[in-house]
Amino acid sequence: MRLNMKNIIKLIAVLALFGTTSVSARDYISIVGSSTVYPFATLVAEKMASQGMKAPVIESTGSGGGHKLFCAGVGVEHPDITNSSRAQKDKEFKLCQDGGVTDIIEVRVGNDGIAFAYAADYEWKYTNGATMKGGIDLTKEEIWQAMARDNANAPTTWYEIDKRLPKVEISIMAPPPTSGTRDAFDSLVMKKGCVKDMLVADGDCKAYREDGHVIEGGENDELYVEHITKEQGAFGIFGYSFVSNNSDKVKASMINGVEISMEGIQDYSYPIARPLFFYIKKAHIGVIPGLMDYVNEFVSEEATEGYLLDAGLVQLSPADRAAVLDAISNQTNYK
Amino acid sequence: MFFWSLVLIAVGIFSSFIYGRSRIKLNSKKQGTKSKSLPNYYAQYVLMWCLFPALIVYFSWAIFQEQIIQNIVISNFEYIEGAVYNEGLLLAEIRNVANNPSFADGKSIEIINAASHYSSLRQISQISFYTSIIIIMLLGALYASQKLKPEFHAQHTIEKYIQYILIFCSSVAIFTTIGIVFSLIFESLRFFAEVSIFEFLFSTEWYPFIPIREGQTAAEGSFGAVPIFAGTFLVMVVAMCVAAPLGLLTAIYLAEYASQRVRKIVKPLLEILAGIPTIVYGFFAFVSVAPFVKAFGQSIGIDASPTSALAAGMVMGVMIIPFISSLSDDVINSVPQSLREASLGIGANKAETIKKVILPAALPGIVGAFLLAISRAIGETMIVVVAAGTAPNLTGNPFENVTTVTVQIVVALIGDQEFDNPRTLSAFALGLVLFVITLFLNIIALQIVKRYRERYE
Amino acid sequence: MNNSIAKEKIISLRKKRSLEDMRFKYYGFTAMCLSLAVLVFLLYTIFSKGYTAFQKTIVLLEVDYNQEVLKLTPDSSDEDMEKGKFFRVKKQAIENFFPDLSKSDIKLVKKLFSINVDKEIKDYFLDNPEVINTKQQIWVTAHSDVDQLLKGNSRRDVPEDRRKLNDIQLSYVDQLVEENRVKQVFNNFFFTKADSRHPEIAGVAGSFMGSLFTLFTVFILSFPIAIGASVYLEEFAPKNRITELIEVNISNLAAVPSIVFGLLGLGVLLNVFGLPRSTPLVGGSVLALMTLPTIIIACRASLKAVPPSIKEGALAVGATKTQAVFHHVVPLALPGTLTGTIIGLAQALGETAPLIMIGMIAFIPNIPTGLTEPSAALPVQIYLWVESAERGFQEKSAAAIMVILIFLFMMNAIAVFLRNRFERKW
Repeated sequence: MRLNMKNIIKLIAVLALFGTTSVSARDYISIVGSSTVYPFATLVAEKMASQGMKAPVIESTGSGGGHKLFCAGVGVEHPDITNSSRAQKDKEFKLCQDGGVTDIIEVRVGNDGIAFAYAADYEWKYTNGATMKGGIDLTKEEIWQAMARDNANAPTTWYEIDKRLPKVEISIMAPPPTSGTRDAFDSLVMKKGCVKDMLVADGDCKAYREDGHVIEGGENDELYVEHITKEQGAFGIFGYSFVSNNSDKVKASMINGVEISMEGIQDYSYPIARPLFFYIKKAHIGVIPGLMDYVNEFVSEEATEGYLLDAGLVQLSPADRAAVLDAISNQTNYK
Repeated sequence: MFFWSLVLIAVGIFSSFIYGRSRIKLNSKKQGTKSKSLPNYYAQYVLMWCLFPALIVYFSWAIFQEQIIQNIVISNFEYIEGAVYNEGLLLAEIRNVANNPSFADGKSIEIINAASHYSSLRQISQISFYTSIIIIMLLGALYASQKLKPEFHAQHTIEKYIQYILIFCSSVAIFTTIGIVFSLIFESLRFFAEVSIFEFLFSTEWYPFIPIREGQTAAEGSFGAVPIFAGTFLVMVVAMCVAAPLGLLTAIYLAEYASQRVRKIVKPLLEILAGIPTIVYGFFAFVSVAPFVKAFGQSIGIDASPTSALAAGMVMGVMIIPFISSLSDDVINSVPQSLREASLGIGANKAETIKKVILPAALPGIVGAFLLAISRAIGETMIVVVAAGTAPNLTGNPFENVTTVTVQIVVALIGDQEFDNPRTLSAFALGLVLFVITLFLNIIALQIVKRYRERYE
Repeated sequence: MNNSIAKEKIISLRKKRSLEDMRFKYYGFTAMCLSLAVLVFLLYTIFSKGYTAFQKTIVLLEVDYNQEVLKLTPDSSDEDMEKGKFFRVKKQAIENFFPDLSKSDIKLVKKLFSINVDKEIKDYFLDNPEVINTKQQIWVTAHSDVDQLLKGNSRRDVPEDRRKLNDIQLSYVDQLVEENRVKQVFNNFFFTKADSRHPEIAGVAGSFMGSLFTLFTVFILSFPIAIGASVYLEEFAPKNRITELIEVNISNLAAVPSIVFGLLGLGVLLNVFGLPRSTPLVGGSVLALMTLPTIIIACRASLKAVPPSIKEGALAVGATKTQAVFHHVVPLALPGTLTGTIIGLAQALGETAPLIMIGMIAFIPNIPTGLTEPSAALPVQIYLWVESAERGFQEKSAAAIMVILIFLFMMNAIAVFLRNRFERKW
């Protein structure tokens, strides 16, 4: 360890390695938001990477968290795009305005259905051992009765809700409040399926019961699978793309007699269908390289008719699609 | 740019060293006296005066250059009347245009001008950077060379500098600890401002989902960590049930029975077991052990969870076997030979000697080893993240799904992070508990082992 | 008479005792064998699950590079060629993959191919532009579901609705096998590509580079600091309260769970210092702090192993303490310190939890090129693949484990080599 010539050379070598790092401006796209849109966004990101562009960095934060981050302000430290599995709420729009994010382009990317699903290897059986024909079929009202806190009856088995249903204990794993799936489920099922006669006085249609029959999970769909395969007869609430890609693990129940399907979601004949969105911060266009390339790739025919469709993103109807393309090319604010 | 500056510094170091050497030789020849220190020390002295100021310039340039250039660019930007600009975005745009010419298509003339301004400023900055490095090195060398007199004690000065550097290195460990304690306590205090500490430590409901936005209907969150502590304890107990007997018996066999050759083969193999990354154990638990536990549970009529405490605990036990066996091995080996010989001498056989003499003598050390292993098991993350559950469950049944402190920390910090929400902050409170417990176990274990060692030294 | 009974008793007692002795030895032996058996079983599990990932399945596809479909002409510029409608060509090729396919069948056939096929068709064309208006037989990558089926990783005897491929698709695959239009070749993607959402084109190149950058940061930070600290503590530090505090501190830091270092990285490096998330710079800094105690302890041990006589000899001939230490003790201890550093680096290479805390689990389909770019790391990649629902990722995670184990093995081998080659026994 003498400080002689040889060691000086070594010292210099180390310094040289140090010097190769320097901090650079953000030249990649930053995306946050819904876990439902996340898999589609990563597919587009990957496509961009394969075309030699810098791939966006995408974080799954849930729709609510996404809007919060997105609306925090304009500037490279804030995300450029937020994915959302529901339309931006008025409150969030106001949050954006307050944060200085005044110009926002809304892109509707497709539709998604919400599946009320159970383990694929589970068979619905009556107490006498007979299996339910054609799997289980529920109505929105029945789901509401099973899940609502302020349902005066507080059933413990499905049989108590309707006699045609088997005597299986109610156990449902619901998404957390930050999830867009939760918001959509609340407005499509809990609100619409709310049976006013059963509601206790001053009851809240959207509140979930807290007696253990409904439990809240996290943002990770895998944990739901874990739960419903463990607890036989339990339901989980999933996006359609997850169910269609994991048909070997989970099976969706029919809703109001309609089987979940791509066509049913596109024309909304499946009762729990919703549109998916992402929102672009207009101020960032032309600042972050590749931002519009990403957007254009997401709505390109190659994507929507190709790999996004394969991944379970249900296409928009032609009229909706034309409107979206128009909004993108003119960069019109949605509000 | 910074690469060439390093070349420059390198050249400076070299020449200053050579200069220092030859200069002192010359000076002492001139004066006809021998220098107080060896020529190399004077050379090093010059070198240090060359290197450190240059490094300071180097790093301050690296840190401040961008800031200064940006300020100049922005202050000279030709704002268009009436247009509203966001400074950060404008800068990003200018920089991205300057760094990537193809991105300039369709940009306004102001932006392109600013980008070229930016580029030219960078060039100026580069040139002045090189110049200032050269100047500062020359100044340093000049200052140092004035001291290059034979009567100057270069060695003393150099050694003093070296001491300072060494002390700085040693204090990094202290800073790390302060950093850990500070960040854990700071965030935990924010957590306990919203959740009562009694609820956290004694309540049995862990339900961390609380509404993040207004207008959401969700149950009130509750943060009773008892099920999490219980789950951690259960997994740890399972792990110790596997690791304690296997590790201890292996250590006894290796220390007392095995031939030199067997020791030579087996010890490195056990070290492999210790060196395998924990995520690999997690994989092993997930694909091999968990299905096995489930099948085994079914065969004896118990409905085992796919993420049972048993599977995670067993694999964790395997992970800490080498830990226990090597520590116990050391402890057993340090039992004085005289005790062994005395016992064998009065006619006891090996097993009796071990059971009646060696183990009692080594007991404190073994307890210490076990405590260290427990602390390791409690802090282990990846095995339980992969193989244990995420839902809190207050149970003593190892076939059921449980969750642990480390799993909950990971769950709370993956995805949505809000540093004003107790859900995210709970990770730090759990981390604090984990830190305190492992520290406590570790201190006790080290004390026990130390006292034990002293007894036989 | 009494004597003989006593003798018998003694003999039986001795027998019992020696039996006990044997039994105890046998217990120890069994425990040792059991521990080693688990090691063997673990390695066997990983190998048997992982070796298939080094092969990929490719399918022979006839592609018609029709200029009308491509919207190109033989003399299109390179730039135009980039924009050719290759996905249309692929669509057509798939429609004609089997004779007389109905619309619903086409959908099923399409799912036999990887998403990367578009790019492969395009790359083939860009490499050989002369094939325009000709039909070409190209080997393209099959979908992971086909790959897994042919490798025997997914079973075909489960009910149809629990399979990824339905009965019709299975019959197609069988037909392909019969006609020799499908084969397995070396999986170059695994070593050249970064992470992907599609198992068949996911690779470890991205996470490997991320790990390399991270380890580089660890080395740069921890090696000089560890040597400085251990030299100070071992040779110079005065015996006082502060020194004792530092020593206790280091031994306790060594036992702090790695996840707590992750919290330190999140709470201080990211939130206070504002360093960029998900980057090797932050990951490496956290791991450097984590491995520092390990390396310091190893360094101190090797400094301690140098006999004091050497230092005393130097001091006796008039060297100062600094000279004695830096000219004589440290060089002799260097192999030991290097060994310790490599072992510390090996520990850092396998560490996962702290990296998760600082966000190195983002999905990064690019191969990182610098310390401040978001990137993944090998162990985190393994975690992501283990957690993934897709069956195709399971073999990938096992194969990635094989890669990481090989590297750990190499690092340890280097450490042992250094120790044996350079370390002197005194």
